[in-house]
Amino acid sequence: MERYKDIIPNFEAFKAVLHRPLFDCCRINTLKIERAKLLERLDEKGVGWRIFDWYPFGLKLDVQSPGKLLESLLGYIHIQEELSMVPPLLLDPRPGEVVLDLCASPGSKTTQISQMMNNKGLIIANEPSLSRVTPLRSNCERLGVLNVAITRYDGRNFPRGSFDRVLVDAPCSSEGRERRGPGVLSRSNRKRSLDLQKLQIGLLKSATRLAKPKGVVIYSTCTYAPEENELVVEKVLDDARLERISISGLKECPGITEWNGETMKGDLSKCARYYPHINDTGGFFVAKLIKN
Amino acid sequence: MSPSLSRIRNVFEPMNSSEVAGLWQSRFGIPEKAFAGYRFFRKAQSVWMISASELPNLSYEALGMRIMNLKDRPWKPTTCALQILGKHATKNLVHLNETQATTFLEGKSLPVDTNLEPGYVVVLYREEVLGCGLYSRGIVVSQLPKERRMTSCS
Ligand SMILES: C[S@@+](CC[C@H](N)C(=O)[O-])C[C@H]1O[C@@H](n2cnc3c(N)ncnc32)[C@H](O)[C@@H]1O
Repeated sequence: MERYKDIIPNFEAFKAVLHRPLFDCCRINTLKIERAKLLERLDEKGVGWRIFDWYPFGLKLDVQSPGKLLESLLGYIHIQEELSMVPPLLLDPRPGEVVLDLCASPGSKTTQISQMMNNKGLIIANEPSLSRVTPLRSNCERLGVLNVAITRYDGRNFPRGSFDRVLVDAPCSSEGRERRGPGVLSRSNRKRSLDLQKLQIGLLKSATRLAKPKGVVIYSTCTYAPEENELVVEKVLDDARLERISISGLKECPGITEWNGETMKGDLSKCARYYPHINDTGGFFVAKLIKN
Repeated sequence: MSPSLSRIRNVFEPMNSSEVAGLWQSRFGIPEKAFAGYRFFRKAQSVWMISASELPNLSYEALGMRIMNLKDRPWKPTTCALQILGKHATKNLVHLNETQATTFLEGKSLPVDTNLEPGYVVVLYREEVLGCGLYSRGIVVSQLPKERRMTSCS
């Protein structure tokens, strides 16, 4: 983790916040309930909540085991990390479009995309791992999703398509989850990130190939390693251009443009890095690309 | 492709929407228009419902939501489908009070005082569909999948 000393602003504050646990968060599933009604129900039960500053459907919850709430069992809410709600927002899907979610399970983002599309159009939720298809299906069913079809390809070889929007929420070293599961950061290292990088580049190249011209591709991870973030995005900049990310109410840091003494090509500062000590969240990286 | 093939080869085979709607109409009184705008597929004994109009040529693991199982007589609706379609139901409904709702949500059986046709029923509490129950001789047996049940202590 010390290798991030020079890229993470206010590194001491960063290290200090990692010991503080996070509130559980959830998304209101408007496919099944109106926002006002859900908030009323939580009040009735005495469950404490606070709406995110940047997203009206995201809530911090003050309750033990929120997954056991009736509202959760009936699919009125979905337990989801705060920053996990960022990529769908940037993907900005519209009802009636055709969207590919290349690495989909357990479907937190798939189901959020479905809600944004109002259950119209089509989302292909791809997940190669058979055991991980089960939670993906179960979340879609619980949340009342009717516009998702599930496939099981290796994302790098997804056979065909011309999608309006593609999300690559890539498998990663998950360093940003330290506040949920302490120890991730200390186990993480450059070698492991480089191994993951091969897969991540394959996935992002495939996503760029599958988007239609001018289509949107979002690449996201919950890790800090530049090897898994900017250095992956850099590889598709011949086929797509970056768009700057800014979400009102959420502070991002620019993507890094230099690492290990080497300067990267393109304007990778347009990517967004989110740090735990800045918004009191987990850690996250996201890039928004427009295919040429 | 003949209808029997999907049962042998495990492929999704398109189904006529009025064929599906007819079954829900006769058991639950759900009007056919609740099924408009969806496409239906059968794979083995399961029926799937999806809102998409066109599906790219891919190999699918799931197409929308599994809404019913045709294996047994009578056919069985899934709880997730009832939570969506059940609000249009006009018969074979069971309204529970708070205590009964808790018992149902825990996955247990409960006595109810109604005159229903035996078979699957829509279980509601405060106008909200909780899920699917199996009714016979004064008893409703909760059909909630295990992962959707409340644990007794909470
Ligand atoms: C970070 S998780 C996705 C989380 C999900 N998007 C959500 O919001 O709930 C990454 C997923 O990618 C899947 N994966 C691993 N290798 C893959 C590959 N070659 N192609 C596509 N997906 C892959 C993993 O099984 C895992 O479920």
